[in-house]
Amino acid sequence: MAALSEEVLLVVKKVRQKKQDGTLYLMAERIAWGPEGKDRFTVSHLYADTRCQKISPDGKSKIQLQLVLHTGESTTFHFSNDSSALKDRDAAKELLQQLLPKFKKKANKELEEKNRMLQEDPVLFQLYKDLVVSQVISADEFWANRLGDTNHADPSSSNNKQEVGISGAFLADIRPQTDGCNGLRYNLTADIIESIFRTYPTVKEKYCENVPHNLTEKEFWTRFFQSHYFHRDRINTGTQDIFSECAKQDEKGLKSMVVQGVKNPLVDLLMLEDKTLDEGYGIYATLPSTSNSNRSVKESSNSAIIKRFNHHSAMVLAAGAGKRETPADQASETSSTDGNSRDSDFFQPAVKKVKLKEAIEYEDLQRENRPKTVALNLKKLDRYAHGPVPLQSQQYTTSQDIINSVNYIQHEMVNYKPNLTQVLSSTTASSAIAALSSGGVLMQAATQQAINQMIPSEVQGELKHLYAAAGELLRHFWSCFPVNTPFMEEKVTKMKSNLERFQMTKLCPFQEKIQRQYLSTNLTGHLEQMLQTAYSKFHIWQTRRMLRKT
Amino acid sequence: MDEEPERTKRWEGGYERTWEVLKEDESGSLKASVEEILFQSKRKRVTESHGQVRLGMMRHLHLVVDCSRSMEDKDLKPNRLTSSLKLIESFVKEYFDQNPISQLGIITTKNKRAEKLTDLAGNPKKHIVALKKAVNTVCVGEPSLYNSLNLAIQTLKHMPGHTSREILVILSSLTTCDPANICELIKTLKALKVRVSVIGLSAEVRVCTVLTRETGGSYHVILDESHFKELLMLHVKPPPAGSSSECSLIRMGFPQHIIASLTDQDARPSFSMSHLDSSSGAQLSLGGYFCPQCHSKYTELPVECKVCGLTLVSAPHLARSFHHLFPLQAFTESPTQQLQTDRFCQACQGELKDKSVFVCPSCCSVFCVDCDLFIHDMLHCCPGCMHSQSAP
Repeated sequence: MAALSEEVLLVVKKVRQKKQDGTLYLMAERIAWGPEGKDRFTVSHLYADTRCQKISPDGKSKIQLQLVLHTGESTTFHFSNDSSALKDRDAAKELLQQLLPKFKKKANKELEEKNRMLQEDPVLFQLYKDLVVSQVISADEFWANRLGDTNHADPSSSNNKQEVGISGAFLADIRPQTDGCNGLRYNLTADIIESIFRTYPTVKEKYCENVPHNLTEKEFWTRFFQSHYFHRDRINTGTQDIFSECAKQDEKGLKSMVVQGVKNPLVDLLMLEDKTLDEGYGIYATLPSTSNSNRSVKESSNSAIIKRFNHHSAMVLAAGAGKRETPADQASETSSTDGNSRDSDFFQPAVKKVKLKEAIEYEDLQRENRPKTVALNLKKLDRYAHGPVPLQSQQYTTSQDIINSVNYIQHEMVNYKPNLTQVLSSTTASSAIAALSSGGVLMQAATQQAINQMIPSEVQGELKHLYAAAGELLRHFWSCFPVNTPFMEEKVTKMKSNLERFQMTKLCPFQEKIQRQYLSTNLTGHLEQMLQTAYSKFHIWQTRRMLRKT
Repeated sequence: MDEEPERTKRWEGGYERTWEVLKEDESGSLKASVEEILFQSKRKRVTESHGQVRLGMMRHLHLVVDCSRSMEDKDLKPNRLTSSLKLIESFVKEYFDQNPISQLGIITTKNKRAEKLTDLAGNPKKHIVALKKAVNTVCVGEPSLYNSLNLAIQTLKHMPGHTSREILVILSSLTTCDPANICELIKTLKALKVRVSVIGLSAEVRVCTVLTRETGGSYHVILDESHFKELLMLHVKPPPAGSSSECSLIRMGFPQHIIASLTDQDARPSFSMSHLDSSSGAQLSLGGYFCPQCHSKYTELPVECKVCGLTLVSAPHLARSFHHLFPLQAFTESPTQQLQTDRFCQACQGELKDKSVFVCPSCCSVFCVDCDLFIHDMLHCCPGCMHSQSAP
């Protein structure tokens, strides 16, 4: 049923669906169709469920619009109004085109993310197959645990969201190269374009206005570089340049910045002037007068460059600091573009104090302040010299005993004379040598590698998958301890049943399979031991809980 | 082979020539006095660090490497990037040697962005492989101090309070391009108790001075490659723990190495949990280290159990920190002229030509300058005392 509060964006009459006449309604969150004469909707789809829309080609007699849902099914609407079918269909299509992307992102993103993760990591895919497809744990649990883990270490997506500063020299870095025939090549990267837009918002406005309607992107940038706006001699000759407005805006901005002044009370901008000391130490031998009429052309172009540099720096700083709404704090040395003139009087005494203090103290010359260290408080130092001492008395030889026995043996051996013919019989000797050569009874360490060759590799591969799946389940099991909340209690009980199910459905068949293949080694023994350890831990926890309750 | 004659020169005469001549030479270079200053600071470090001070042994260190355009400079051979990465490799090995229960992560910064080269991990192999591959990166753009510190904070802020959180920045550029005010970030770092140290490759930069001063780290600028190595190795030693860091009991497992053979009755081949992810290296084996809590197997220690989260170490890993608990006392310095006995060093048997010698207070053996440094940095016990005690 149509909710009364739903906003209806478009109504199209005479739309047929499944050979029935009716009306199509496009609402804020869903699209619905009801047959002619009836009040209720027979077909209703949320935009979030719709994957895409399709329209019939223009030449065809039937004018149709098809909605394909994520689940795969599709609904077709036939626009049968003789006069305005095409217009209706196009209106519906345009509206859908605008609405669908808004909902698309929310639904699809998670699914895409999951698919991507499964495709990228074959181990994860195998784990998914082992655990979810064979219904040991449900898909929701699998993804709840996985997505929760990866949210901490989110490598790729966090990179894309990194905010980037604006390098002060970004315009200079463009570095035009001559291409041989009297032209210049400018290399623009996405970074530089973004810097230009952030620093000069008027250029961004011009870009949005003109591209792609009037100019292509390439043309826009060509004009930008050709314009006087970019080059240093900015003579506003009032040409038809689209950037002449930008230049005027910049002038206005610069004037307002000068009016605001600097927050630093120790700096008086108006007193800064080029002063000469003597001939050769200043600019000219004759002091130039500051009246505008006497200014030479060179001076005015110099002042234009200086003005341009100041403006550029101020804009770069403003673009960087523009994000923060709170005013810059007193101790920082940010530029003059922050702060209202209303507040500067209030802040002035405190800022002045800080600035004065900074000026009279040099931290480099003071004694270095090491951060305070905490003294180490070791008790019972002799415990560090040997291992843990057993509490009960045990059979214990003192070191003096050992020294005595060594001396005794030394004494005995002084008179020892070997009698080689009566040491060992030859059979004993040869069996001892056989035992001590490689491959013998006492030298089994060398045959470690043999185990790899004794088991076929498919069996090993399957065992590896079992290990991965068991490891995943056990990890969730062990993470529940210590059990503090009722949620943990539920989880631990659930995990235990999952483990039992895993053992039943995966481990036992595998065991039977290898027994049928006559492999004598106990391949699943270790896994069973791990599961048994988990079960006994659960059992202990359960008994303790029951003891606590009674 | 070419180094041999050089080394003998330094042993016999090289040091003295540079110390005793404490003035400018003909070309006006101050090299001699600079080396003297370096040596004095080394001596001061040895004498100062001999109180019993609480140290942060479980460290989480993020290494930030600058990969900007200035790293292509050829003043370190063959270029700054290759030389730095090589030194960092030896730093990583030394770090895990001295701090077996600590973790390290590497971040690179270039083109105004920062990205993670390796995550925080306790296994040196991964880092060394990544560093070897990183030699081929293209150095471009400007580094971003803000972004790299921010990226490091994302993982460090989740670390428990009893571990020490550190960042070491190797900065070669003189500029940094930040999206926001770095003073705010410095306040955040202070609040999170992260200690940031910087090694500069070009010159001293004020923002680094402020950053290290506020967070309690150290800032040095290198003179040449050997000085760079020395400065890096300074950070291998665990830093003193701040007064506000908590101390807590840490749960650890000490698995025993089981060696089994096929003829044992209950021989069970098993896979090591740490190798399951890698395509190669997962092999069935009979023995190994079994976690005491969950019984999963590992082939080497120290490691954090993937199944139950218990830190598994062996006793020698912890015993490696004993020289911090019981540090060797500093030897007393006395002028060579006052020696009554023969003039040769007890440890290296070389002739004592330096101005001053060092005498151990307990066994009164005499050592030369280099042996004294070696004993305090590497050996941590006096050879004279060891000899006198072991005789029956």
